[in-house]
Amino acid sequence: MLEIKNLTKSYGDVVALDRFSLDLKKGEVLGLLGPNGAGKTTLISILAGTVRDFTGTVTFEGRSLFADRSMKNRLGVVPQDMAFYDDLNAMDNLLFWGGLYDVPRADLKRRAAELLEVVELSDRAKEPVKNFSGGMKRRLNTAIGLLHKPDLLLLDEPTVGIDVQAKVSILDIIRSVGAAGTAVIFTTHQLAEVEGTCSRIAIMDHGRILAQGTLDALIRIVGEKDIVEFTGEFAAAAFSEALQDLAGDGLELLSVADGLASLAVADTGRIPKVMDRLFQRKLAVTDMKIKTPSLETVFLKLTGRSLRD
Amino acid sequence: MRTLRRILHVTANDLRIMVGDKVFFFWTLAFPVLFIVLFGLVFKAGASAPDVAEVVVVNQDQGRWGAYFIDKIKTPGVAVTVTDKEPEAYNRLLVLPPDFSARIEARRDQALAFKKRENASARAAARVETRLYQAIARTLSELILYGDGDLTKFLDGHPEFRDIVLVESRFPPKTVSVVPSGFDHTIPGTTIQFIMMMVMIYGGISVMEDRKKGILGRLLFSPLSPGGLFRAKLLGRWLMGLLQALMLFAIGKIFFRLNLGNVPLALLVIAVFALAMSALSVFIGSLCTKEDLIIGLSVLLANLFAALGGCWWPNEIVPPAVRTVARISPAYWAMDALHKLTFFRGGFADIAPALAVLGTLAIVLTAVAGKAFRIRD
Ligand SMILES: Nc1ncnc2c1ncn2[C@@H]1O[C@H](COP(=O)(O)OP(=O)(O)O)[C@@H](O)[C@H]1O
Ligand SMILES: [Mg+2]
Repeated sequence: MLEIKNLTKSYGDVVALDRFSLDLKKGEVLGLLGPNGAGKTTLISILAGTVRDFTGTVTFEGRSLFADRSMKNRLGVVPQDMAFYDDLNAMDNLLFWGGLYDVPRADLKRRAAELLEVVELSDRAKEPVKNFSGGMKRRLNTAIGLLHKPDLLLLDEPTVGIDVQAKVSILDIIRSVGAAGTAVIFTTHQLAEVEGTCSRIAIMDHGRILAQGTLDALIRIVGEKDIVEFTGEFAAAAFSEALQDLAGDGLELLSVADGLASLAVADTGRIPKVMDRLFQRKLAVTDMKIKTPSLETVFLKLTGRSLRD
Repeated sequence: MRTLRRILHVTANDLRIMVGDKVFFFWTLAFPVLFIVLFGLVFKAGASAPDVAEVVVVNQDQGRWGAYFIDKIKTPGVAVTVTDKEPEAYNRLLVLPPDFSARIEARRDQALAFKKRENASARAAARVETRLYQAIARTLSELILYGDGDLTKFLDGHPEFRDIVLVESRFPPKTVSVVPSGFDHTIPGTTIQFIMMMVMIYGGISVMEDRKKGILGRLLFSPLSPGGLFRAKLLGRWLMGLLQALMLFAIGKIFFRLNLGNVPLALLVIAVFALAMSALSVFIGSLCTKEDLIIGLSVLLANLFAALGGCWWPNEIVPPAVRTVARISPAYWAMDALHKLTFFRGGFADIAPALAVLGTLAIVLTAVAGKAFRIRD
């Protein structure tokens, strides 16, 4: 349904998207996972038609997505910003934003009432949005993108900065929109969100997709290895040097920073040897954790950085 | 069609949010009305006429009708001084030429010169002028009857004489100069000033805020085009200005007997002026990233333009040099056109130059604002 080929966008020297390619089927929910600056917002903005001067192609059902403006009736976008009118109430916001699309007025009213129900704002529908909590605003922000029943829904970090309850409710909506046949791309830098919500996960950084597939498929990428994380008071250089000759041969250095390092090991039986070596070199390790593979370890392996930064 | 519907949808929403704002009421109505009352009273007091209007009559007449006519001018509100030579200084002057009587006796028409010193009271001149018409009518009627009697009664009995008395008066531009005053000056002046103030501040800030909040970007997720969005924003601010003018004029009409001279033409002036200001507001809103900056810039520009452009005091009383400089203010052209309509019985031809200047300004500012318009910082 959606085919993105070699999308490239630069801001001066910064390459925000680098030959980004992706296919998406009807009803598929794709979680696009990447750290800050990975290029997620740039991708969404290009698809939404608000960022230009890029190269590459985007086709939607065989036609260019940018061929004509009426295509936008098929596209729903939920931006990262809470972009709506604080002075209007929730219902009036929905009617205004929905009114920009070619939806009959009567349908729009019915749809707005329905969506207020879905995002659990029905009882606050007539209240100015400026009185809403962060979570309520996020839910309204999401609902606005759904009014005209788009066939392709793009959400840019729809769950940033809200409480768990609101987050769960938005992820539920995303799932049910996908189940109803809409293709969805949603970006996030939070692993827990994609794990339960998406039919497919793509990990991106520096403007390109590093790996994609189901959760299981991605975890296989790190192999059957365990991840060992060390914390303490050591210098990154000294740590790397100490383990230099042990590397290869079932042991891999994933990341090393001052005081924090992680390794992948094929066999946990090798851990005492590593500890020995660190002890010999008088590296002060205060804590050690063994982790079984998860999306986070996949991410760490692929991007070399933790999602939290 | 759909494009237009989307543009109007965005414009209507802008207007609705604006009208729902308390600040809007203050800037559009409360504050301007206060201004109107204060300035209106100031200018009204300054423009009152003296109790007795004096007039110097230079009687060069060789016959008897000159003195006869002068007698008819005399009345308690008009002090007549008769001389035979034109004095150096006078406020108002009437000249009876040497052949005054001769022409009357020959039943030939004649022109009388009535002059007013440029800065003398226009109201006093109007009073003398009225008295002169009365005197002419009385003299003529007595001439017709050749003796004393009542003209009206005579004309009732002799309808064939109705059209034979023709008094025509002309006012060369220099001899009559009306100084615009009172509410007919301050209401349009205040309206022009507050259109600038309100459209620039409110219109500019909302463009900037909508951009910062991502609302402008989100609007373009819909089938609305960037050009359509720009037009919607322009239209919204233009209607804000028009709405404000209509409200202030309505208040002026109801409470202050506002006289605009020619209402459709006055509204045309306001419409073109408001268009220029709405383009300026979109430009300022696109340029600035801080609310304080927009307020500062708008207040500075609006007040400078208002003072220079004759919104506070009439341009007709400032020295010629200042008046020349004042032409850089858009408000000057608007006030110039409005004064021509109200105080100088002007028509379309009289205000066409000012309209052309304002129209050109509107086009240029729209082009500039269109270039500067952007949906994100
Ligand atoms: N308008 C812009 N001007 C200059 N650089 C930009 C702009 N927008 C994004 N970038 C840069 O492009 C890269 C990708 O940004 P973005 O798409 O916002 O990433 P993400 O949404 O994943 O955090 C970043 O390095 C960012 O600094
Ligand atoms: Mg982003």
